[in-house]
Parts: sequence; structure tokens; C-alpha cells
Amino acid sequence: MNPAAVITGVGSINAAFSGGAEALGAWLARPGSAVRRSSRLGVVAAEVDLALPGRFVGESEARRLTRICQLAVAAGRVALEDAGLGAGADLSLVLGTEFGDLHSTMAFADGYLASGPSGLSALLFPNTVINAMAAATAIAVTAHGPSLTLNARTVAGELAVIRAAGMIAGGRVSAVLAGGVDEINPRVSEVLADLGADAEVRGEGATFVVLESPEAARSRGARVRGEIVGVASRTLPARPHGVGRDGASRAIPIALAAAGLDARAPGWVYASLGGDPARDAWQARVLDEALAPHRPPRASLRPWLGEHAGVDVLSVAAAAWTARSGRLPADDGEPARRVPGGQGLVHGLARGGTEVAMVVR
Amino acid sequence: MTGLGAVSPFGVGVKAYWDGVRTGACAIRPITLIETEGFRCRIAAEVPGPLPGSARRSRADRLALAAAREAADDAGLGPHERRDSALVVGAVGGGMLEAEGWYWNLRRNTRPDRAALARLRAILPASHAEAVGSALGLGGPRETIVTACSSGAAALAVAADLVAGGVAPVALAGGVDALTRICYLGFNALKLLDPEPCRPFDRDRRGMSIGEGAAFVVLEDADHARARGARAYAELAGYGMTTDAFHVTSPHPDGEGMVRAMQEALACASLGPDAVGYCNAHGTATPQNDRIEARALRVVFGEGRILVSSTKSMIGHAMAAAGSLEGVATVLALVHEVIPPTAHLTTPDPEVAFDCVPGEPREIALECAISNSFGFGGQNVTLLFSRI
Repeated sequence: MNPAAVITGVGSINAAFSGGAEALGAWLARPGSAVRRSSRLGVVAAEVDLALPGRFVGESEARRLTRICQLAVAAGRVALEDAGLGAGADLSLVLGTEFGDLHSTMAFADGYLASGPSGLSALLFPNTVINAMAAATAIAVTAHGPSLTLNARTVAGELAVIRAAGMIAGGRVSAVLAGGVDEINPRVSEVLADLGADAEVRGEGATFVVLESPEAARSRGARVRGEIVGVASRTLPARPHGVGRDGASRAIPIALAAAGLDARAPGWVYASLGGDPARDAWQARVLDEALAPHRPPRASLRPWLGEHAGVDVLSVAAAAWTARSGRLPADDGEPARRVPGGQGLVHGLARGGTEVAMVVR
Repeated sequence: MTGLGAVSPFGVGVKAYWDGVRTGACAIRPITLIETEGFRCRIAAEVPGPLPGSARRSRADRLALAAAREAADDAGLGPHERRDSALVVGAVGGGMLEAEGWYWNLRRNTRPDRAALARLRAILPASHAEAVGSALGLGGPRETIVTACSSGAAALAVAADLVAGGVAPVALAGGVDALTRICYLGFNALKLLDPEPCRPFDRDRRGMSIGEGAAFVVLEDADHARARGARAYAELAGYGMTTDAFHVTSPHPDGEGMVRAMQEALACASLGPDAVGYCNAHGTATPQNDRIEARALRVVFGEGRILVSSTKSMIGHAMAAAGSLEGVATVLALVHEVIPPTAHLTTPDPEVAFDCVPGEPREIALECAISNSFGFGGQNVTLLFSRI
């Protein structure tokens, strides 16, 4: 069982904590919900209220970068520091996002609608393109390899990690910052509510993991925090925006087979259960069928940190922590419960049918 | 590459597209889809109607679906192949055109109706992959790649990795974008639009023309294609993907990232620069970009050694669709051994040390060709195709 990639660094800016692998471990040991009513946003959400400039982002940088770009840049820097990788390393980048920078898109449109052509901002326009956060991060950390943005609902961050692991396994790159970022936008929340899709609590933040080939990590003496030993993404039958009827997983058997394991192997599961009743029920059915007759304990970070692409990646980093520590986050404010260490599964399922699975040890 | 599909400003289908670009026809005309009052540039390359597909879908979803369906049918993909097929879509605008209609009304205090609200579900770039994947029954990996104007080319590169790595035996990959107000307003704000049809590599070029469309290809493991008797158009023999990490909107002044992308593509294909005879350039017609791309081409291939042309001179810059539309044009150039010309090129820029095939197509024996795509954020992609 050769790992596709190893995790050598973690960086996260989210509503509950900011920092690297140590900060994540401290929070996971006794997690608490960061969901509350935001006076700034006027919605119930897991909001990052950290003042980023000065701590992770320079003052002049902060003037140039939008808030969501600052989140990504800050998390990317923390992850590289955690991995002991300096800027300028042979680095690539894959970043998942669900909504991108809709705040800038609306501000750009508002300028025109208020003042006509003279109200257009040339500075805002590049931020309306959903790869703006990856571009800003690549510049900030001098990543000269491919820098891809992946857009998907619910599983954008996991897809970014899978793509990054594939790039490493393919031998084209040796180190990748793989992450997810999203920002809460009150108008998006309002529209989701109007569409009847507001059962999930939204969150915001950015999380990156540094993935390296086992050889690259070994050769520089990097501390390995976890190994990704099997990955797969597949599509289950479902209408766009809909949930499927079929409970048969396509991704889990492939990810387990890639790891040389069977359905008995995962000691625990990090799932994308986030409060959407139909989607959560579908995912529970898929997990039940794929791992039957076993039913390893499940955890989801979404109820505490809200739905955003960063939490997808945090689940991968958390899986590495669980594999090492033999502990899985329990209920709000309670100490993490004991589980078999070794290896577990990160699983995500989105409306529309995108299914992702990763075996982490 | 066993299947091709395109919806372009020349109409629906690969034949209409190739008939247009091969002859150097220009599809850049006055804009009809969005309001243009108060702006100097009022032209773009729109896909002519009527579009295939349900009007309940976003315009971009309809473009994507038509092109993807043509490619899948062209490759003869049956239900069995489709079940395992990956889908990789390069996208930027998503259903923004329809979302803008809703938002404009909201801001002007016109209460949007429920149908307009429902169409916001398709606002994200990822909606195209959902629409295409669901309609065509594709069950493999599904990814939506955003690298700004190189998204369509990046989608082909990612799909090639999935096939070469054994993740999926077949991949449907391409790019799509519909014209949007945000895009039109944005390039106006950057003062990058020519009020006349764009003139790539011309000394007097004044900027780009925007466009729209979609193109998809079927990439297939060679043994898999042979086993089912599929016809192959060409081989995607290599690609390079790099990032400038220099500036959000400006390319590196020396084209450093572009050079690396082209060199990586050659290395990936185990070929030297002498093997390549033609470059379908990014060729946006902005003064800066064309000069830098020409400089990068000279570093990699040597002064004047290959033919260079820009499809954007005919169909404008189709944003996320540009890379895949131009990839298809490059493949067809290989298949037919005809180089599509650069339209509107009357006074070659002396700083561009290449024959940019002005006005008329060129017949030439051709073994390998590249297609360059560069995007905001310094995201460079080079695709290298070779004859079968």
C-alpha cells in the first residue's frame, strides 16, 4: 500500500481557530460550535471574525486583496510554515470553492448600476473570476507549478485534495498546496433561503494541506502528519441539484481497492453531513451500503464550522489527526471519543451526484 | 481524441466551426444579447440562434450540452462507455447571464419572478458539468476547472491525466462560456476592447473582441479506442501547465511562464521544438499580450520557425471556451493539413517574428501543433497535438 501522497502541513483560518496542525489537534480534542448569529452579516453562520491584516497578511497586501483572497493567502502561508516549506519551493496549487467571490461580483455590478460606465472598477473585475483566490495565493507563496481552481457544490475542497494527490501520483509535481475557501455572503444566504436550500448552516474560511510525494517528504526530512493511500471521485445518478435514489457507492470501493483494503478496514468516517436532510440521508444510505455490515463511527465538522469548501479540506487534515491519535471528535464541547487509529475514510456526497472518497492513515 | 463537438459563433456543430475558421470568416458583429449603450466597443462574437435545448436551461448550459453531446455521439460512446467516462469542464461565467438579469431587476426594484429566481441554481460554473453529466449519463469523475481564460485548455489537460493515469478509460472534456454583462463591462473597465473586430499580431491592433461558445472533445486511452474500433482524430501528446505568480492581470513581461508551459508540453510529449510546425496562439490582440507571446514563442521555437495564427480574430475571445475551441481548431488543422488564418491582419507587427498566416488559409504538411491559452492570474496552458 504505497501512499498516493503524504500530508506534511496544515493551515486553517476558520470560525473556531486559526493555525496549523497543532491548533487543529487542540480544537478537535474538544470541539465547539462556532455557529452564531452574526451582527455584521445578519445571519446565523460560522463567521471568521479575525482581523487578518497584521497577523497573516501584510497591511499593504490587505489593501490590494479582497477578504476572501486574504483568507486563502493566510491559510496557505500557515500551511507552508507548518510543513517547513519556504516560498519559492517547487510548488503547485489546487483550490476548491463553491461560491468564489460573489461579493466582488455584486460590488462590480453595483458600481455600473449606480453610475453607468464611469462606475466600473478595473480593480474589482479580476476578482469576479472565481480563480482570483488561487491567483492571489500563488503570487503570495510563489507557486510556479499548475494552479487550478475547482468549483463544485459541497465537495469542492475534497475534489481539490483528490486532484492534488493525482498530480503527485502522476509524477508531474512534488508538492501541492491543496485547499478550499469560501466566504459568507448575506445575499447568497438570502437567495438560498428563497430557493428552499437553507437547511445547511453556511460557514467561511480557508484551509490548506501541503501534499508531497513520499519521496520528496522523506528527502527533506519533513514531518509526515498523515498519508492519503486511496482516492476516488465518481458520479452517482442524480438530477442537477437533486439527490439520488440509489444507495450504491461508486467511489468508496475504488478508494479502498487503491489502498489495498476492503470494507472492514476503515475505523471511522469523516462525512459531509451538513444539515440538508435529503442529502444527509442519501449519504448515510451510501455509507451504510458500502461498508456493510460494518458501521464505523462517523463525524462531521460541518455542524460546528458551517458548510464551506475550507471545511472539506479540514476533514482531510482531521482524518490524519484521528489516524495518529485514535480519537474522533464527539459532541459539541465534549472530549473526542476513542476509536481504532490506523486508517479511516473521508467521504463526501453532493447534490447532483458527485461522490468523493479518500482513505487516510 | 476520438470525438469533437463545437458550438461557435459560426453556429452549431464542428462542420460550421471549421468551415468558418478555415476560410478566415469573421463572426464578430454588433452585440444583441446585452445592452451596450455608452460604450465605445459594441461588438462581440455571439452564437447565432436558435440554440438547441430547453429554454429553461441557462444559455451556457445549452451551449455546453450541445457541444458535449456532439462530441460523445461523434466518438460513438454508448451507455457502457458513458457510465465510466470522466467529465471535465472548463468554465468561468456559469449561468451568470441569467443571474445578471435577476440582479439587474432586483437593483432596479423590479420584483423578479419565481422562474428567474429558480434559474439562479445554475449560476455556478459547476452547473454545466451537472447539466452535461446528468443528460449524457456520465458516471466517472466530474470536475469543473477554473483557470480564467485558459480554463478550456486546462480541462483537456486534466482529462488527459485522468485517462493516462488509468482513473477513467474515457473522458469528455471541454470549455464553455456564454457572453455576460460582467465580462463585457469588465474588459471595458480594463480598456482592452477594440471597437472594431480584433486584429491579432497586427502592428495597429487595439485590443480584443469578446465571444462565446463551447467545445468538447473525447479523450480515450489508445488501447481502449482501438479495442472498440473508434476513429482517432489526433493524439493529445503532451501538455504544460504553469503559473507566472507575477500579477493578477498582467503576464510576466518576459513570458517566463508561457515559455515553461510550452517547454513542459514538449517534454511531456518527448519531442523537440523542431517537431512542431504550427501554433494556434492565445493571440488576444492586446498590444502587450501578443508581443509577450511572440517573445515566448521565439525563445522556445526560434525566430520565425513555426507558423502562428489566432482563431480569436474570427470568433473573438470565448473566455473559458477559448482553449477548447482553439484546441479543436488545432486538431482539425492537423487532420486537414490546413492552417486557419489570422483575420484582419494587414500590417504585421515587426516585433512579432513569425508568419502569422494573414487573411488566407495555408496548406502545409504538419505532424505536430500546439495550442496556447493564457489566463488572468498568470495561468498558462499549452496543449500539444500530433497526427495519428
